[in-house]
Amino acid sequence: MGEVELSCRAYVKMYLHACLFPRCSINGLLLSSSSAGGAVCVTDCVPLLHSHLPLAPITQLALTQVDVWCSQTQQRIVGYYQANACISDSSPTPCALKVADKIAEQFDNAVLLMLDGSKMSPDYRVPPIVMYERKDSRWILKDKHMIMLRQWEETRSIAGQMLESGDHALLVDFDSHLDDITKDWTNQKLNTKIAELASPANGNI
Amino acid sequence: MASVSEMYDVGWEEMRDKLRKWREDTCRNSEQIVDVGEELISEHASKLGDDIWIIYEQVMIAALDCSRDDLALTCLQELRKQFPDSHRVKRLTGMRLEALERYDEANKHYDAILQDDPTNTAARKRKISILKAQGKSTEAIRELNEYLEQFVGDQEAWHELSELYINEHDYGKAAFCLEELMMTNPHNHLYCEQYAEVKYTQGGLENLELSRKYFAQALRLNNRNMRALFGLYMSASHIAASPKVSAKVKKDNIKYAAWAATQINRAYKVSHKEILIRFDVRAHSFTTFSFLLVSVFP
Repeated sequence: MGEVELSCRAYVKMYLHACLFPRCSINGLLLSSSSAGGAVCVTDCVPLLHSHLPLAPITQLALTQVDVWCSQTQQRIVGYYQANACISDSSPTPCALKVADKIAEQFDNAVLLMLDGSKMSPDYRVPPIVMYERKDSRWILKDKHMIMLRQWEETRSIAGQMLESGDHALLVDFDSHLDDITKDWTNQKLNTKIAELASPANGNI
Repeated sequence: MASVSEMYDVGWEEMRDKLRKWREDTCRNSEQIVDVGEELISEHASKLGDDIWIIYEQVMIAALDCSRDDLALTCLQELRKQFPDSHRVKRLTGMRLEALERYDEANKHYDAILQDDPTNTAARKRKISILKAQGKSTEAIRELNEYLEQFVGDQEAWHELSELYINEHDYGKAAFCLEELMMTNPHNHLYCEQYAEVKYTQGGLENLELSRKYFAQALRLNNRNMRALFGLYMSASHIAASPKVSAKVKKDNIKYAAWAATQINRAYKVSHKEILIRFDVRAHSFTTFSFLLVSVFP
């Protein structure tokens, strides 16, 4: 299978989502704004749930809404991420496999990403992620060398910085949106903050 | 770093009252409790009187939640000095061992409590929590079932069991737990709504109709429950789209879905948000529902 690239924005929001709900299993969708073909570039993500992940109605609703938003913004759903509440086990749960299967029906090179909670301590050096790809109707571990995080050190530092300053509290997932529909699950504010921290003007590149 | 009292311009009485409110509401805002509680204990301990013991307990548990073992140990030691033979403090000792993942030692403490007092529910629940933390869901479920046979009125335990069953995809049993909760808490809209979600997930026409009824019930109890509103829309739409229903049932469900769609539209308009899906419903039009249902995930 091909290369997968994970953008700073996608990684940071996934990371902050996991940090915002450290006692829950969380999940979300991975999006791409690049055209099909070649490497899969995950350019953004939408955090979905932090409760009752296996239940269908809200998942279906969220998938529909994200799908519509994607078609309006020239993006597509290319994958799914999840972090388990129990950090000793970062393997995909049945509901993770189910949702990832659905995504794969619409996008051949779909990606299933599990966040490894045990590697998310403050001084971790390696991206705490495990990626799976679909082969012969099964999800198998992806070759680590096919996963790219450009400027990983900078991404890692931005994620850490935002956690320190409490920015994870700004993150809105679909669950939170349903509790208060004035909250924006596309997280435009957070996207802006991440872009500011990543900009060349900061002298980070 | 500025103190809590400086940052929020509050005195020690307000901090103490805030802690009491969080205790009463059983909030799990551990980071805040640690910030406020630590300052209160270190600077104003003498003013708190007998309140200090319950505050030590509250702050200790919050400290464990934030990996602040230093603070947790300080609180625990004060409590041990004051209440040397207390089961309640023994349980806190066990919780600290749990936080340090020393589960066998923690279990020994809980077993000692239970030997002394077999009706001690707190110790039994901690043992079940250890099973959960170790990923032993089957055992946790078994133990929790046994516990509920004895303590059949424990709401918290019924809810915990429903969550465990949902994670194991055992929706039938999860529904049973939620039925117990709905019986004893008929005005709680969240239980109705969760029950409806479980029924929807189980699938099939009968379960969909039940789910629609309970989404509707949740809305009657709280007309601002957005999950229930969306749930009503989706379950009614699915029923209307089913080839197995009579023309009357189809018509009724289109009506329910249309009503829900209008309410959703209105809610989003009021909150000045652009509606992402145009719930443009005409009474006899069927295609709108099909559009939504035929999206990526039928």
